[in-house]
Amino acid sequence: MSNPHEDKKEGKKDLPRWGMVIDLDRCVGCHTCEIACKIENDVPLGIWRSWVKEIEKGRYPNVVRAFRPTLCNHCEDPICCKVCPVKAAWQREDGIVMVDPHLCVGCRYCMSACPYEVRYIHPLKGMIDKCDFCHNRVDAGLQPSCVEACPNSARIFGNLKDPESEVSRLIATRPVARLKPEMGTDPRVYYIGFDPATLEIKREAELIWEK
Amino acid sequence: MGKVVFDVHYQTTLAFLISYYFYCTGLSAGSFMISTMSYGFGMTKYKPASKMGVVAAVLLLLLAPQFLLMQVGWPIKSVWNHFVYFNPVSAMSYGAFLLMLYPLNSIIYGIFMFKGNMKLTKIFGLIGIPMALAVHGYTGWILALAVARDYWNTGLMPIVFLFSAMVSGVSMMILLIMIRDRFFTKEKVINKDLVVSLAKILGWLLVVDLFLVFCDYSVLLYSKLEGKEVAHFMLFGKMSFFFVVVENLIGKIIPMIIVMIPRTRNSYFWLTVAALMNMVGILAMRIVTVYGGQALPLM
Repeated sequence: MSNPHEDKKEGKKDLPRWGMVIDLDRCVGCHTCEIACKIENDVPLGIWRSWVKEIEKGRYPNVVRAFRPTLCNHCEDPICCKVCPVKAAWQREDGIVMVDPHLCVGCRYCMSACPYEVRYIHPLKGMIDKCDFCHNRVDAGLQPSCVEACPNSARIFGNLKDPESEVSRLIATRPVARLKPEMGTDPRVYYIGFDPATLEIKREAELIWEK
Repeated sequence: MGKVVFDVHYQTTLAFLISYYFYCTGLSAGSFMISTMSYGFGMTKYKPASKMGVVAAVLLLLLAPQFLLMQVGWPIKSVWNHFVYFNPVSAMSYGAFLLMLYPLNSIIYGIFMFKGNMKLTKIFGLIGIPMALAVHGYTGWILALAVARDYWNTGLMPIVFLFSAMVSGVSMMILLIMIRDRFFTKEKVINKDLVVSLAKILGWLLVVDLFLVFCDYSVLLYSKLEGKEVAHFMLFGKMSFFFVVVENLIGKIIPMIIVMIPRTRNSYFWLTVAALMNMVGILAMRIVTVYGGQALPLM
């Protein structure tokens, strides 16, 4: 009983390493990925597995809208899996970070440890919920729902181990950024044309009790 | 720089219940320390506080995990899974064992103390001291290992938690001893020697505690973006009333002055005021640390 996921990890050496590239030059901020994710994964009201943060900056006429599609980064060295007291947060051999609903007790420790704030308490189940790259679709040979729904093909999903894949080609030939690499998590979602202003936090954030 | 048009509000992770849990374990660890001073280390001056200390420690430690179970989504499943699916790299995994073993050890220690078996009391008291340190230190580790939050992710956090635990425990013991001696003994006379020496300990613990807070904040103010933001939020922002006034002024500085001046230290009225203020201040410290540490969104 030491590791409940041992049997699922055995003897699969040639597995891919899934990752995503988000080309923000193509993103228009239509929020379709958000909706597709909600429909595919049956995400209740009030929580999002994937969302698009949208900011405006500058003064007219020099203005721009910047977008940051946010989802679980499926880190190579995930903090959530380290801090989980019951091994409910675990990583598949192909890199997808999962939540085991049979083990998760809803202690929320992983939520406070995640630097990307992508983990949420499912209001109906009382346990942690997060993006899992639509693992059931990926296992069936399909693309994740947000990738398939994106009208401008801004999201590209693929195998990072394969040098011929679209994601590897983009990472190799375009300037890419990752969210908070200084956290030591080695995230596997890459952004092209990323505006760091979308990462800035607000001083004097709204406190929950004042709403 | 930019103005946010759309973003998702993140959920509060650890809420007030966790603050109360930290507060109760802190009081318990502090009162256990006072209790072991005579039986474990032979300081007979503190013997009248021993029995009360162990009873308070056990009762508070039976209360503390209830807050924890109210916080988690699946209370019964959480008790089972914590023992079966042990994750050796998670601080919270060890907490489940400590929260079971420490009250058990305290109960055994208390039983031998009430039966008058000096030798076994000493043994279980000495086993209990590292456990009391661990059971409260690990709560600091839980926050320190949540690496995303700069306010928590510091090596000082377990030590700050230990000192605030001892401070609040000593304050509680001063209050409990005064109440017991005044109302529940035949002589109705407070053991002044004991209370005043506890007050002296309280004073020096408060000095160390304030020094640790100073170290923490001086480093935070010079640190990176998120650390600076959260330090400003605590010192000058919306949390400043709770942090500066309630926690540090009312909770630590004024009680420290009261117990440092011999005239007020020997007055029962001022001692009661100091102990009460300190207990309120440490409760504010728990709330400020748990709630304030995660009040700012990360990105």
